[in-house]
Amino acid sequence: MGHPVTTNPFIIMMINMTVVFIVLVALSFLIQLIHKIDPTKEPEEKESAPQVEEDEMQRLIKNVKDSKVVTDRDIPGEDESIPEEVIAAIVAAIARCGITGEVRAVRMVERDTTAWKSNARSNIGSSK
Amino acid sequence: MEFIDAFSVSLQSVWNDSGFSSFTVGNGIMILVGLILLYMAFVKEFEPLLLGPIAFGCILANFPNTDFFGEEMNVMKAINFGITYEIFPPLIFLGIGAMTDFGPLLARPWTLLLGAAAQIGVFVALAGAMIVGFDVKEAAAIGIIGGADGPTSIYLSIKLAPHLLGAIAVAAYTYMSLVPMIQPPIMKLLTSQKEREVVMTELRTVTKFERVVFPIVATIFISLLLPPITALLGMLMLGNLFRESGVTDRLSDTAQNSLCNIVTIFLATGTGMTMNAKDFLVPETLLIICLGLIAFMGGTAGGVLLGKVMCRATGWKINPLIGSAGVSAVPMAARVSQLVGMKAKPGNYLLMHAMGPNVAGVIGTAVAAGTMLAMLK
Repeated sequence: MGHPVTTNPFIIMMINMTVVFIVLVALSFLIQLIHKIDPTKEPEEKESAPQVEEDEMQRLIKNVKDSKVVTDRDIPGEDESIPEEVIAAIVAAIARCGITGEVRAVRMVERDTTAWKSNARSNIGSSK
Repeated sequence: MEFIDAFSVSLQSVWNDSGFSSFTVGNGIMILVGLILLYMAFVKEFEPLLLGPIAFGCILANFPNTDFFGEEMNVMKAINFGITYEIFPPLIFLGIGAMTDFGPLLARPWTLLLGAAAQIGVFVALAGAMIVGFDVKEAAAIGIIGGADGPTSIYLSIKLAPHLLGAIAVAAYTYMSLVPMIQPPIMKLLTSQKEREVVMTELRTVTKFERVVFPIVATIFISLLLPPITALLGMLMLGNLFRESGVTDRLSDTAQNSLCNIVTIFLATGTGMTMNAKDFLVPETLLIICLGLIAFMGGTAGGVLLGKVMCRATGWKINPLIGSAGVSAVPMAARVSQLVGMKAKPGNYLLMHAMGPNVAGVIGTAVAAGTMLAMLK
């Protein structure tokens, strides 16, 4: 163009602003399109997945609440009941790991154990 | 006697060729300006990498009789060619592209709107400049200061108003270095404590496919739409492609380090050398600096205001503070969002969220420049 199309500052302002918005909105649609056609993205995170997971977790928690909480042996001075939120947290962690099935019981592990036993337990745990 | 005559003539000749014989008050003032900028760069650490060479270039430009821009080729003339022929700004964009992670933008494409809103300052300053008497091309070049993007400001002013290059470049880089001082009061003024405390959800994972395809698609789309800015946008995206492809690490490393540093030295020194007293000490310079500040403040306010709208529209899921990062000073503006957010709510990390609008701001400013070039050139 040899000469400016207009010299009215407000018209220039409005036209430019409109063009900038249109270009950037179009670019955002392009980004979404790229995301949609991306063949390498992980299998679509289903919209309903969190709900299913939530339902499964609630069911598991209910089962555990209904079942008996058992302990290896009575620990002197300790209340053997495990708080519900602790059970919920354990069940949620299990469900999150993708382990299916039911948690039927939660058992307290004795705390006044020797260092040898704790070591062995953690070794077994880490080897799994 | 003959010896004394010869000695006197020689002394006269040395004096006539020296800078002292042609030194003006204007040169003195500009050297003082250069020294103040040097102080700001090296003592106050305001953008020292840019302001340092600009300040020294300003001092060099005000020594009379240097013949930097005379007939014969010399290094200063070569540096000036790099600016005059728009070589350096695209090369800087290559480095910026290689340094920038587009991931936050790709994870939240709607942040492009914040980048667009922050360009409001550009157009407010353009209108203001025309009202105070600048012609439309000069006004466009002045307005782009509001984008807080040095290379784009230089690129546009070379094309539309080369005689204003020095003032525009200095205003742009000075305000960029003052981002941490200019933006927070505006951000606090326009947002409530509750808005500043909004915690945003984690960004989704962006795949390599998206990272590689985006620069290619964006280049094709924007270059076809706005050819005048193909050099800038194309180099930005090429740099980013080097970074994301995973097979051009050496090129990416060169673009973001050695090449970018070399070009920064040339561009900043060359910009400083446009600040000679004759062109710079004019009333327009003061106006440009004032208009630049208005542009910058307008841009910040535009981004934050749209951020507020988005905050309400999404049910308080967006912190409006990230809107201020829509001015494209990468990554300072994003860091300011982070700092203001952290002050309002310790532990609220907004940096990665603010990088989306920040990158959008770079693209938005280039698009604004392209639109003005298409309309006005």
